[in-house]
Amino acid sequence: MAGEGDSEPGKSFKLLGFLDVQNVPCARDSVLYGSLGSLVMGLGHFLATSRVRRSCDVAVGGFISTMLGYWFYCRYTLAHQRIQQRMLKEGMRNRALFEGSYLDPEKKQTGSERSDS
Amino acid sequence: MANHSQLGFQDASSPIMEELMRFHDHAMMVALAICSLVLYLLTLTLTGKLSSNTVNAQVIEIIWTILPAAVLIMLALPSLRILYMMDEVNEPNLTLKAIGHQWYWTYEYTDFKDLTFDSYMTPTTDLPLGHFRLLETDHRVIVPTRSTVRVIVTADDVLHSWAIPSLGVKTDAIPGRLNQTSFSASRPGVFYGQCSEICGANHSFMPIVVESVPLANFESWSSTLPS
Repeated sequence: MAGEGDSEPGKSFKLLGFLDVQNVPCARDSVLYGSLGSLVMGLGHFLATSRVRRSCDVAVGGFISTMLGYWFYCRYTLAHQRIQQRMLKEGMRNRALFEGSYLDPEKKQTGSERSDS
Repeated sequence: MANHSQLGFQDASSPIMEELMRFHDHAMMVALAICSLVLYLLTLTLTGKLSSNTVNAQVIEIIWTILPAAVLIMLALPSLRILYMMDEVNEPNLTLKAIGHQWYWTYEYTDFKDLTFDSYMTPTTDLPLGHFRLLETDHRVIVPTRSTVRVIVTADDVLHSWAIPSLGVKTDAIPGRLNQTSFSASRPGVFYGQCSEICGANHSFMPIVVESVPLANFESWSSTLPS
């Protein structure tokens, strides 16, 4: 049963006509965090210095740096998860294949423990 | 296969294509950052708030040296990583030869038995219901799933190119030269491609169809091949 707010499969929204923020992992969050960072840094600079022009510069710089910073962090985490997922899948498959056989690493381990005792 | 009016990539069916799509997403994010900056600077320029006197010459020189270098590093490092990954020596399980002609492909499986067949496009008048126009062929290339396949591509007459977008493969077929590529289909399925180098009147009518089947099915198919 589809949850509330689920977008239709295949629906895309392309920012500036080329970045699909709905279907690209981490893209939507990067843009949103970038916007938030831009707002915080720009507003904060304005409140501190009352300089409009420089605050706008800080806001744009903040948007770019926050967006790219979160993008790198998110993609790194995603890659890490993918590697762990692959290792888990491989481990589960090997366990199913070798459990109980002479290739079972757990059996080898308990066998060596018995020979030590 | 691509849907009508599709601009983006087809779904990835090989690990290399998945990596290429991830790199494309990364490049688009960097492009978005650059476009945002350029849009902002353009707005300032057009409203008269930015001129050649706005920033000190030395400062601007430093900025527009450091920033492009940073962009280059952000793009070049992942790009080179994938480039070298595509050229890795990966001990293929099967070698297939693809020879381009005007206007069909010839495939040779010479690993275990000497099998050669031609692959012509199915004409639209002979197309069964539900099949894809200008993409189907009379004989498909059969490969086992999740096995590395080496493809040696050449041509008999003029330049052709053996390309399958969803597998991330495109290799020029040059007469008198053997080009090598490899791929590994991640899942069973049928993958379509088209000749990607202009080769005459029927350049658009010499498609490529690769059918990836489970290894057991591939073995039973190959055992039925005439020796």
